[in-house]
Amino acid sequence: MTTKRILAALVAFLSAFGLFSQQEVVLKISEGMPMINLALPDFAVRTPTPAAQAAAAEIHETLAADVAYSRIFQPLPKAYYGYIRPINPEKIHFKDWDSVQARLLLVGEVREDGGRFVFDGKVYDVRSERFIVGKRYQADKAGLRLVAHKMADELMKLHGEKPIFTTKVAFVSNRDGNDEIYMMDYDGANPTRITFNKIKDYMPAWSPDQRTIAFTSYRAGSAGLYLRNIYEGTEILVSAKGTNYSGAFSPDGKRMAFCSTMTEDGNAEIYVLDLATMRTRRLTYNSGTDTSPSWSPTGREIAFTTDRLGAGSPQIYVMDAEGSNVRKVSFGGNYHDAPAWAPTGDRIAYVSRVENRFDLYVLNLRTNQIVKLTESNAFNESPSWSPDGRHLVFSSNMSGSIQVYSIDYDGANLKRLTDRGENKLPNWTN
Amino acid sequence: MKKLIIFSLAIVLIFSLSVSCKKKPQEVPPPPPQVQEQPPVEKVEAPVVQEPQLTEEEIFLQKSLDQINREKPLAMIFFDYDKSLVRDDAKPVLETNARWLSRFRTIKILIEGHCDERGTEEYNLALGERRAKSTMDYLLSLGISPDRMRIISYGKSQPVDPGHSEAAWQMNRRAQFLIIEK
Repeated sequence: MTTKRILAALVAFLSAFGLFSQQEVVLKISEGMPMINLALPDFAVRTPTPAAQAAAAEIHETLAADVAYSRIFQPLPKAYYGYIRPINPEKIHFKDWDSVQARLLLVGEVREDGGRFVFDGKVYDVRSERFIVGKRYQADKAGLRLVAHKMADELMKLHGEKPIFTTKVAFVSNRDGNDEIYMMDYDGANPTRITFNKIKDYMPAWSPDQRTIAFTSYRAGSAGLYLRNIYEGTEILVSAKGTNYSGAFSPDGKRMAFCSTMTEDGNAEIYVLDLATMRTRRLTYNSGTDTSPSWSPTGREIAFTTDRLGAGSPQIYVMDAEGSNVRKVSFGGNYHDAPAWAPTGDRIAYVSRVENRFDLYVLNLRTNQIVKLTESNAFNESPSWSPDGRHLVFSSNMSGSIQVYSIDYDGANLKRLTDRGENKLPNWTN
Repeated sequence: MKKLIIFSLAIVLIFSLSVSCKKKPQEVPPPPPQVQEQPPVEKVEAPVVQEPQLTEEEIFLQKSLDQINREKPLAMIFFDYDKSLVRDDAKPVLETNARWLSRFRTIKILIEGHCDERGTEEYNLALGERRAKSTMDYLLSLGISPDRMRIISYGKSQPVDPGHSEAAWQMNRRAQFLIIEK
């Protein structure tokens, strides 16, 4: 018994140690480093048609917005391009670019080929005058934004980061009548409807392979939890008894934590479904309400909300993925909910109620420092991290109606992403 | 000539006599003028089949579920902020509901728990569930069989009052009843 305990403590300690040693590196990258100046001169258009010109402009504009959003790179100020000779892709004067303090140079060419467009993107390191990476994409007009996002993701990979610009945000909207599941690009473009019925579907959560969405639907007369492969169109009901919600895939995609009231007493508990065997295991045994599971990026721990210390006062706890070693991590205040564990591992975003306002906060698990992200007299809810942990999406009624917004990890760059109908419960693939 | 006169007189006499004889019946007072008799008014009516006297229960069973639900035979109850305890003012309402349920014994109901817009979706789903559960427990204590009741939580997603005032919030913190079987 005691040896077991010691072993468990040791495992916990080691896992925590592993986690924190990882965090320090990440922190240095995301907060200690100045942003990298990236020059993005206008693309050369090889076929002088208006369509090719427009395509080049669209890719350039989208890519520039991605770069500006990244918090890793920053676009070279427009004025600087006027100080040096215009770009000649055949012969690049790296000294020019170095003189305006560009560190990376992205040179693009666009040509039209049978109604489709071909984009060539090449990335150079200015100081060493070296070619780093090149990509060629072909797309029709509708795919031009995706071309830009793919190129931007190459920059992310170059920097050792997970791609974020081609990822999607799932959300719930009533724009077509009742609450249905939709998805959109990270920047709010290309909203696409996923569920089609007159029954309420909500609380979507992405699988890590970005092909399946877990969601709650009332279509069978109770709130059942469904898995829908959005590209194959297959759908399965995984839990129907009681109210089932808050689906959350483990980072390896093999398990899904969720919340259910399937037991006789009707109390909300957290369960884990093994997606290979489709067997469900109960993790919490408590008379309080346990909800909102969120996996640590290692898959070893789960953050969740519980009001076991007092009904009406939810707090954020962390437990091992097997349900043991439960400890409280939120402090100060009597209402903390909706934890979202950052993919960087060091932080948990959550919602806190202070004087009937609901704002987003980020708790640094290493330093126990709290950063308040939103500052509006509104209900700010449902935080969900970007795959690289530098941005979040959330829902807020700060404009009057409930809409999806994005904000950076430090509260900067608040941006509204939706405008049709009411939009909520955003979930970013990560 | 004299004979002729006598003869003609006799003829006249006879004639007159015969005439008078003939006239005699005319002197019988005529029968009272025939009154045109009206036929008695005949009431034409299909025979009424006597319907059996329906009890309230039988009338009730003839209605569709939609009709019954539109009539809202079961009143909703309201809760305090963040609470799922059945309030004192809700108890008489549930007692009335229980009496109605004891009367219509075949009825099965869905108890829906709802919340106001404050708090997260997840928390409110759990809170709505607790409200539905405590409502069911109270009805259980009043003798309603558990297999006649099911619960569901809609969290804060189905407000009856879309407003953002305390009055709207109070209206939305509720348990309401849907008849799902009869």
